[in-house]
Amino acid sequence: MLRTALLAGSEQGINRLLRLDPTALSRLARLSGTLIEVRCTQPDLTLFVMADDQGLRLAAQWDGTPDCTLHAPASSLARLAVSPHKTAILHEPHVRLEGDSAALMSLAEVLQSLELDWEHELSRWLGPVGTQLLGDAVRKQGRWLRQSGHSLQQNLAEYLAEEARALVGTQEAEARFSELDELKLRLDRLDARIARLTPVSEPHDPA
Amino acid sequence: MSDPRNTPTEEPVTHFGYKSVPESQKAEKVAEVFHSVAAKYDLMNDLMSGGIHRLWKRFTIELSGARPGNRILDIAGGTGDLTRQFSRLVGPTGEVVLADINASMLKVGRDRLLDNGAAGNIRFVQADAEKLPFPDNHFNVVTIAFGLRNVTHKEDAIASMLRVLKPGGRLLVLEFSKPTNPLFAKAYDAYSFSLLPLMGKLITNDSESYRYLAESIRMHPDQDTLKAMMVTAGFDRVTYHNMTGGVVALHRGIKP
Repeated sequence: MLRTALLAGSEQGINRLLRLDPTALSRLARLSGTLIEVRCTQPDLTLFVMADDQGLRLAAQWDGTPDCTLHAPASSLARLAVSPHKTAILHEPHVRLEGDSAALMSLAEVLQSLELDWEHELSRWLGPVGTQLLGDAVRKQGRWLRQSGHSLQQNLAEYLAEEARALVGTQEAEARFSELDELKLRLDRLDARIARLTPVSEPHDPA
Repeated sequence: MSDPRNTPTEEPVTHFGYKSVPESQKAEKVAEVFHSVAAKYDLMNDLMSGGIHRLWKRFTIELSGARPGNRILDIAGGTGDLTRQFSRLVGPTGEVVLADINASMLKVGRDRLLDNGAAGNIRFVQADAEKLPFPDNHFNVVTIAFGLRNVTHKEDAIASMLRVLKPGGRLLVLEFSKPTNPLFAKAYDAYSFSLLPLMGKLITNDSESYRYLAESIRMHPDQDTLKAMMVTAGFDRVTYHNMTGGVVALHRGIKP
């Protein structure tokens, strides 16, 4: 019952989020009638997912034959949810997919490409002016945070490489790598030259 | 059994809560209860169960195995909680019939479903569970949630549900049952007989209907008795799941 309650809560939250993307529900409607079973192997959990034009339905059990079953540990499932390279994850040795993989990929794609119009939802509570003011402030703050983060990253890298000499700088590393590449090429050439100069000793056939 | 049929010389009696009433009067008395509570039925359900009735119904949906294109009968569907979910599951190619013997409940259910945009694949039928007005072998799933205990002849109702199910179709009976832990049962009794009527008095100004609710739950067959009734009626693979310590049980049987 606890799992049912948790799933009911999650389902409600996810469906609220999905409604913030004006196109998500119509894209999910194409998956109507499809039953996807996700079997998490570590820890041992099973989840059934269905989609329709009203959102997702999550269930701890479902009496029916799934169209697609995914067996994977939690770590792979988490990566599958966020990674753009899903095919590579699905080919990992501990991940197993049975049935129609297209259904699973379509569902993952819809969830990953969500463009949430949170300002629309907010405007229902704050009104258009309040939402605009808040939206501007959040966007400004977001820009400042991104710039500050980028700047902090650059300064830290420069300090560690140039001043503290704790790390090798990018340019310095690239110079060393080119030297190594050049050395490898020269060694290959030397190998080839030695091979050409060494007389070929044919095995003599006593007959 | 719960529905004793007496000698043919006098009118058979049945229970209405803890009272014995002539069989012909039970349906009328149950109808009075539901006419009285229909308007605030959902609010009371949420208050009485702390919202857990939604999880019980959710579990019922999970075990129904409903698929797009299925035909589903929701008996005693009341305010349409299950019907709404089934309507979503069976899609435009399926059909859900919300049946209730009580016109007030059916009206509340119909208005609520329409207000929520659930329409197109739903039919509303005022029908008696003992004499379902549908052809044989018609439905993939039949559900009756918190309705069987109000039926006068439960055996007849179960037989009628078996008749309208397709072979391989399933009946799901969600109903109050007997708590499995004696200590919990005592607390549950105290809650049912003191708090429920009080809530009924405060919210719907009708404590008697909620006293009837508590009494009718006690008079309803327990898990194993109901299972035996379903087996006797002809259901195959009958199982039940206790929920919330047996306060509610979900019985499932398959039509062979």
